Amino acid sequence: MPDGATIALGGLSMNSAPMAFVRELVRADKRDLTVVAIVAGMCVDWLVAAGAVSRVVAGLVSFEGLGLAPHFRRAVERGETTMEEYSEHLLICRLQAQARRLPFMPTVAGLGTDVPALHAGSGTLRIETDTATGRPYVACTPLAVDVAVVHVHEADATGNARVHPKLIWMDSEIVNAADRSVVTAERIVDNASFTAEPHRSSYPRFMVDAVCAAPRGAYPTSCFPDYGHDDGFYADYVAACGSPADFGAFWERRIAGPETWDDVLAANGAAVTDGRVAGGST
Amino acid sequence: MTGAPAVVPSYSCTIDELMVVAFSRALANDTRAFNGAASFVPVCAYRLARRTHAPELVWAASSIAVDADPAVVGSSTLSDELWGGASMLANSPADFWTYAQGARYNTFAFRGAQMDAYGNVNNSVIGPYHSPKVRLPGGGGMADLGCMIPRIYLWSTTHGPRTFVERLDFRSGLGWGDGGDHRASLGLPGGPRLCVTSLCVFDFEPETKRMRLASLHPGVSVEDVQSATGFEVLLPAGEVPITAQPSAEELHILRTEVDPSGARRREF
Repeated sequence: MPDGATIALGGLSMNSAPMAFVRELVRADKRDLTVVAIVAGMCVDWLVAAGAVSRVVAGLVSFEGLGLAPHFRRAVERGETTMEEYSEHLLICRLQAQARRLPFMPTVAGLGTDVPALHAGSGTLRIETDTATGRPYVACTPLAVDVAVVHVHEADATGNARVHPKLIWMDSEIVNAADRSVVTAERIVDNASFTAEPHRSSYPRFMVDAVCAAPRGAYPTSCFPDYGHDDGFYADYVAACGSPADFGAFWERRIAGPETWDDVLAANGAAVTDGRVAGGST
Repeated sequence: MTGAPAVVPSYSCTIDELMVVAFSRALANDTRAFNGAASFVPVCAYRLARRTHAPELVWAASSIAVDADPAVVGSSTLSDELWGGASMLANSPADFWTYAQGARYNTFAFRGAQMDAYGNVNNSVIGPYHSPKVRLPGGGGMADLGCMIPRIYLWSTTHGPRTFVERLDFRSGLGWGDGGDHRASLGLPGGPRLCVTSLCVFDFEPETKRMRLASLHPGVSVEDVQSATGFEVLLPAGEVPITAQPSAEELHILRTEVDPSGARRREF
């Protein structure tokens, strides 16, 4: 993952983001990343807080009912990070055009809004009219992604991977578009586990370039149905953002400082042995 | 975030409850809805409508969990906390976006930091786009779904002149566009139907597609709404009605079954 790479992160809002991997990017002191995330929150805020991001390509970055993503917001307001703003479907269409090696994907998404005009200069979106029907559409050009990172429940050593009970979010769109994909998994299982239930697989091994074991690797976002997102972490994070000193201490103690991911979980009272994370469901 | 919504004068409820009930009553039995982020008022309205006058209403929690019936509404309306009781987890890439584009889902609600008279919304920036005073989350799916879904509802828990503006700083989501037949000329279905606010309910005047006062919440005057609104508020012919009082049954169901933890107040 070189500095300056375009990386795409899976998950959606407070669900299933590859947070253990994101923390390693923080600790590796990456710089100048372009981060593609369709609907994101904490994963982008960590990378922006670490100074790793020059450009965010997204439809939405927030903590939902818990507020704005503080570092993302501040960095864009100060001009330190660029927000290349699309919408969910415009981004999906750009990823699909890339995945299918098409010149563009058409959609009605964004018509009549100010979003397409943001990209008139770069030409990544074009408003065109279908010559047969006269209907306008937005032509979404391919979005190249160096590496996609998604979190799943189970993977084997060859790269077969599955989301339990099924693929729910838009992670497959980034995996399909990316040159290379990294899967972080709650559990590494035998290949026989996949051949016994091939209908449950989400990604075949030829789409996955690297597999990492990361139990509770989506924390503090959720990994349905195993654990929910941790409201308490989000609330503490937002509160710490009130002052640089508070945030520095929080960052060191609960995110960047601990030696291993297990230590991070322990520092947040979310160790795997603690059972379900607070705020969970099912 | 979690404030204390005002008590509605002479009604035995608070403003969040009045908004949910007013929204709920507008939903027909053939509503097929889903919800996006931080959409507590719509989620409560869909659930209440299904438990009262619209038993066949479809609601896909987080746009994923069809016919969900969760015990509580939590801090995120995109969370799996909302998925209990669902009959299908419809995935996002293959299922949801196809149903949305085909208008198999026919109802969506959104709001923004700014809204204009045509029900267009801004959730991207306050101030100049490239040097914003406030960088907001972004439009997310509203730029998509505002174009795809025929029945659009808007809501605002903060009805004031900073929210209801003559001109948006950025149009993140499409309502009636420039008004008149703008949406139809783009080949897009339907458009906004109602905007339920903390002061009143707006509908849209059929020709111009501008917001028009449909009812005032108790204790609110036409002047109050006009002074809290940055564009000229159209008035209906005759007297402006008062927003109908929620029934005891609606309030009971809302408080005990739909949203016992009061998540809807997170928006106030």
